[in-house]
Amino acid sequence: MVLVVNGVYDDSGHEDPGHPERPDRVTAARAAIEDLQLGRDLIVVEPYAATRAELVRVHAGGYLDELGAYCYGGGGDLDPDTYATFDSWSIATQAAGAGLAVIQELQRREAGVGFVVARPPGHHALSDRAMGFCLLNNVAVAAAALRDQGERVLIVDWDVHHGNGTQAIFWDDPRVLYVSTHQWPLYPGTGSASEVGGGHAIDSVVNIPLPAGATGDVLGRAINEVAAPVIDAFDPTWVLVSAGFDAHRADPIAELQLASNDFADLTRSVAGFAPRPGRLALFLEGGYELEALRSSVRATLSAALGEVSPDDRSHGGPGAEQIGRTQSARRAAIELLHATREEEEAS
Amino acid sequence: MKSVAMIAVGYDGSADAKAALRWSLQLARTLNAKVSVVHARGMLEHLDAASHPDEMRHDLSVIAQECHFDESNLQWLVDNGDACSVLLRAGEEPLGADLLVVGSRGQGKRAGLLLGSTSLAVAQHSLTPVVIVPSSRAES
Repeated sequence: MVLVVNGVYDDSGHEDPGHPERPDRVTAARAAIEDLQLGRDLIVVEPYAATRAELVRVHAGGYLDELGAYCYGGGGDLDPDTYATFDSWSIATQAAGAGLAVIQELQRREAGVGFVVARPPGHHALSDRAMGFCLLNNVAVAAAALRDQGERVLIVDWDVHHGNGTQAIFWDDPRVLYVSTHQWPLYPGTGSASEVGGGHAIDSVVNIPLPAGATGDVLGRAINEVAAPVIDAFDPTWVLVSAGFDAHRADPIAELQLASNDFADLTRSVAGFAPRPGRLALFLEGGYELEALRSSVRATLSAALGEVSPDDRSHGGPGAEQIGRTQSARRAAIELLHATREEEEAS
Repeated sequence: MKSVAMIAVGYDGSADAKAALRWSLQLARTLNAKVSVVHARGMLEHLDAASHPDEMRHDLSVIAQECHFDESNLQWLVDNGDACSVLLRAGEEPLGADLLVVGSRGQGKRAGLLLGSTSLAVAQHSLTPVVIVPSSRAES
């Protein structure tokens, strides 16, 4: 199996000294790819800057204008978490284009697994607002491109933070199914189990909030019990992953307790939802401890390529008891939405 | 027109946030309303082990006394998220604030931001009336 990744682009200009979202993260992820020594099975595609037409599928045109002008005006803080520099517009559009380039290569080959090594990350970026270190929503741009080609797109987001931006962008769109596991409560404050999609896309959002300390076995069980039946019913033709690695126990930004090889198990589970080879692409989101990021990316890509990983996994953390409550909250929210919709249609 | 029983004011410890809080307390006294002071806990704040947003509560007492505001009508809330989203949620149930108040600029290493400004974003998205307290009130 081949691994399709985007080529290197210069992201050094998007940096704020001391900020954890920094160019070294991409260096660590690329080191993990080198660790795998894939030789001819590594396919590198040239990234390109996503066009306005590709971006406006998910972002408001006015926001794109403002963001570009703000960056070229010198940049600054967009909020207390999120910065932009003179170079950020160019780098963010390259990040969004990197995802599109990887998808296009997978489509051409009809084989392989994609990995988008790009920053800044994207899953917090809303249609019209940057937040949570994110400027443009890379995975959403790719999902929207596939959706507009008639595909049914599953997005699995295992970043430790809920991907509020991705959820909001596809909230009322039945052609995209969004599944997220995340620590809760935690930034950005969204992602409760009762958020299940809009009135035209009931059950197109599956949120699995987990308490601090939760381990890989709990995440795996939650995906199998809560998400898998919804995914099977959705029957995706493409699977995209918001692959954040800040759920690792060494990451300083949150308190889930995953080991690197837990990401291998997650990858195997998620890859099982792809209908055939060439329909799975992973997008780098968070992950701020560089060694944990490198080992987690290595484990993820090994599993995506079909290799067996060592038995070093986390288990025994809290959260198993929450899975039943998540199911109940989802059922109640879905019933309420259906009832509301029936009332609206009757009146 | 719905009466104003609950005012939510965004607070990050900045001079503008203090000005917004003073303005809110003065209005609340006039309207006999309660005030919820809402702090947004961002990603970097979670990373910073030295960050203790509850320390800002001390500011509240000082400013409430300055404004002769009954502290029993004042509550401090910390919510995870960016400042805009947290304030917008304050306008929804369960808090259900009737008025959102925000300073025109918050904290930030570089001042002068326009895009992403909390105040503008809140005003753009809120279904609840919004008051933006200008920087000049903080400077004066």
